[in-house]
Amino acid sequence: MIELAPKHKYGLPIQHPVMPAAGVFGFGNEYHDLIDETVLGAVVTNPVSLHARKAARGPRFMTHGDHFLVHTGLPNPGLKRVLKEHRATWARRSLPTIVHLIATTPPEVAQAAQLLSGIQGVAGLELGLDDGAEVEAACAFLEAAREGHHPILVRIPFGDIYPLAEALAECGADALTLTAPPRARLPLAPDTEHDTEGLLLAKGRLYGPALMPLLLHQLARWIPRLAVPVVACGGITTTDAARACLELGAAAVQIDAVMWKRPNLLTEIAKELSNE
Amino acid sequence: MIREQVAVFREARPEPPLWWVRFEVSVPPAAGRFMLADLAGPVRIPLFAAAIDPTGFAIMAPPGHPATHLLPGARVAMLGPLGKGFRIENQQRLLVITEAGRLPPLLPLLTSTATTTLVVEAATRARLPSLHRIPPTVELHTITHDGSAGHTGTLEQLLDADSPVRESLRWADCACFSCEPARYPALARSVRRARMHPSADFAQALIEVTMPCGAGACEVCRIQTRSGERRACSDGPVFDLLELDTDG
Ligand code: FES
Repeated sequence: MIELAPKHKYGLPIQHPVMPAAGVFGFGNEYHDLIDETVLGAVVTNPVSLHARKAARGPRFMTHGDHFLVHTGLPNPGLKRVLKEHRATWARRSLPTIVHLIATTPPEVAQAAQLLSGIQGVAGLELGLDDGAEVEAACAFLEAAREGHHPILVRIPFGDIYPLAEALAECGADALTLTAPPRARLPLAPDTEHDTEGLLLAKGRLYGPALMPLLLHQLARWIPRLAVPVVACGGITTTDAARACLELGAAAVQIDAVMWKRPNLLTEIAKELSNE
Repeated sequence: MIREQVAVFREARPEPPLWWVRFEVSVPPAAGRFMLADLAGPVRIPLFAAAIDPTGFAIMAPPGHPATHLLPGARVAMLGPLGKGFRIENQQRLLVITEAGRLPPLLPLLTSTATTTLVVEAATRARLPSLHRIPPTVELHTITHDGSAGHTGTLEQLLDADSPVRESLRWADCACFSCEPARYPALARSVRRARMHPSADFAQALIEVTMPCGAGACEVCRIQTRSGERRACSDGPVFDLLELDTDG
């Protein structure tokens, strides 16, 4: 048993150290036909906000070699609708569901956290901070999320481990997810139709294998300094990579968008690690 | 249900300007549904069938498409068939309307009903597809923007004018479209003008957008409809055209 929230009164125990990252696995049973969830530690939902959000305009997906940018705008139908559609699935699951909450405003996060309290199957919240969040604002979001009863993991933006990680651990985060995918940009083909001048860039979150060595670097640097469990996330595509994260002291690993290409990878890594 | 299948690549041969690529698979995708194939690249690629038979399906792919680089006998992991395809059961008179470059996923429809009319639009004659994949029983209307072949103008103009294209829309039981998605609101209004009160699914439109997961998990494929955002991969990729009239 792995305890992701040792300081929380209910704790967040998981059986296995592998779970999908927020934004890659859907809200409920999208991968039900393909994946044996019982070998996972938990399921992290897609990002959800108190109120519905629409999809981003403009390019949402661009590849660059083995890497790709995703810019969805974190669309979701709002927490009430998500609960209506998926709470039965979460309740039926034999493993914990961790709901990923988008840090919109502290009052909205507080309301969402309260709504999620007592929802069967939900064992924790993962708070997704926007890039560039200041320490004070991040702690205010954390405080708001603690209005509910659940342990709180905070997913730290890639570029903001310093100064956020230590500060959030001190502010009472039960665990930290290191990290959200980095923000990146790629040049777009010139818009000949509208005769736009200058370089046009698509922006989004970057996924791909190059994130893994960056992740290991950050884990090696930060885990010894942090007094809370760390969940490793970013570019993990092999059991060796997952194992390296755990050996560096991560309590668990999240598998990100590689799942779309190889849905079974999640359970392959989980099974291989649990056989060791 | 999402099914995993292993398809076997059988052949790829040039059919300028595209390639004809055939796979064997136990459950091929019906018209408008798709397979997500694990070919080169960091995510799977949607494949729409240009021909379907009991042992597999063929696609028409542009030069350089990763499927054209496979060696005969190569095994390709596929998810699918995925999504909702064209719903044309029990229709007698089918009208198929497409931009030339978007014809391949509609080819299986041309042999599915008793009477079929095909309307193909291209910028100029050279861009029109070769006729040999079009069954001789199909009534063909071509439209070119520059008037180099067939009717002159655009689809919208021909659908709104007193033309054989509009006439075909009047008598059809069902119309299936494959166009640039940005054109669908205007095309939906043309259909309304020609048919007054078209029934649900009278006009159906294929939306081809990027679909990295195909499972409804990534939210990349969201499109706007009259009843809110929908996922192309699981709510579509074939939608009621009138639902796509988001400007109206
Ligand atoms: S392709 Fe991922 S949600 Fe549609």
